[in-house]
Amino acid sequence: MTGLSLGEKQFIRGGIAQDLRSDGRKRRTYRPLYVETRVIPQANGSARVRMGRTDVIASVKAEIGRPSPLQPNKGKVSIYVDCRELSVALQRCLLGGKSGAGAGIDLSSLILVEGKVCWDPYIDGLVVSSDGNLIDAVSASIKLHLSRAFCFAALSNTGIPRVHVTAEESGEGQPELDISDEEFLQFDTSGVPVVVTLTKVGRHCIVDATLEEESQMSSAVSVSINRKGLICGLTKRGGASLDPNVIVDMISVAKHVSKQLIDQLDSETSAAEAIEEE
Amino acid sequence: MEYVSPEGLRIDGRRPMEMRKLQAEIGVVAKADGSAVFEMGNTKVIAAVYGPREVQNRSQQLNDQALVRCEYSMANFSTGDRMRKPKGDRRSTEISLVIRQTMEACILTQLMPRSQIDIYVQVLQADGGTRSACINAATLALADAGIPMRDFVTSCSAGYLNSTPLLG
Repeated sequence: MTGLSLGEKQFIRGGIAQDLRSDGRKRRTYRPLYVETRVIPQANGSARVRMGRTDVIASVKAEIGRPSPLQPNKGKVSIYVDCRELSVALQRCLLGGKSGAGAGIDLSSLILVEGKVCWDPYIDGLVVSSDGNLIDAVSASIKLHLSRAFCFAALSNTGIPRVHVTAEESGEGQPELDISDEEFLQFDTSGVPVVVTLTKVGRHCIVDATLEEESQMSSAVSVSINRKGLICGLTKRGGASLDPNVIVDMISVAKHVSKQLIDQLDSETSAAEAIEEE
Repeated sequence: MEYVSPEGLRIDGRRPMEMRKLQAEIGVVAKADGSAVFEMGNTKVIAAVYGPREVQNRSQQLNDQALVRCEYSMANFSTGDRMRKPKGDRRSTEISLVIRQTMEACILTQLMPRSQIDIYVQVLQADGGTRSACINAATLALADAGIPMRDFVTSCSAGYLNSTPLLG
């Protein structure tokens, strides 16, 4: 990105202080969201989310694997984005703690044969174009697909093939599996959270910052909230320190904004699915 | 295994000299100076061009022509089995080099000294012929960016199987 002149920086900061940003939005308004599902036919589910000039694609591929011996009744979800920072932030938001507690997805629903076979959904994200607010875009497309960063859109339309266990083998053997090509189980994504990032510029917070606005930020707080309004994760970026009251305010703003975002994502997904079926 | 049936049809119903369906779209990445998506059958590739712009690494600056850089990578989900290492592996480095040399030969680099042109190519779906699709996508992206070139560069792959030449 080319540098900003002093005048441009003041313009951005001044606009935010007066609740009128460079593209005409208010501080709490998101950029228009465009969702496209099933962009990668080979994947179990995929989605492309566009927020202004930020463009991200997420895909979910489910492979058969072995559950970890420490958690034999839970599947393993892995999230990988080509930008390392995003990967880590998303993993924390979606997957919960090391033991899998607090994860946005019900991991026990991924088990086929306890202790032996489970589904391993691999969530992969790709940033096609970045114009700020990547975490939110990625989470939106994952939710579509899985939620929380890229995946919101991709998870909703993931169809995991129905598997019949044909032959049980005791001991070390791997049970035989018959993976159905016809029947698909829809992933339950109502519990999957979405990320709302609040960027602090000067004394005010804005939602959905563009790259230029992000360059003027002092700090940013990304809150991961699910449909019920419960906080699933919290990340603070940026060098400046924040008063705890400010963080509490940001969280309440995020709660309010997330409701609108989730509703918008749901309507976009159903619109996209309706177009698919035609 | 019969790759060309006795009637002269391949596995997907094509004739030996028949290409797959081609589809292209330009201006897909808003932030880039030029971009294009190119599809050859099931192979889908996206190319983005940034430039000409100031050279980021002063030591690499060329005083009489533009510096052309190219990066090829495959998305994790592009192949049937999920790929572990999308870039930095030998194949990606080799293909990046091939695309760079090809495009450098056709761009009129003398017209833009001390500048840099970046070509990023990403494979979204791999079904053979990714190298060719990338070169075609890069040509369209460069044209979309308005970068002066000698001519279009097109590419197609061909093979020889059981004494029959096969296209794409």
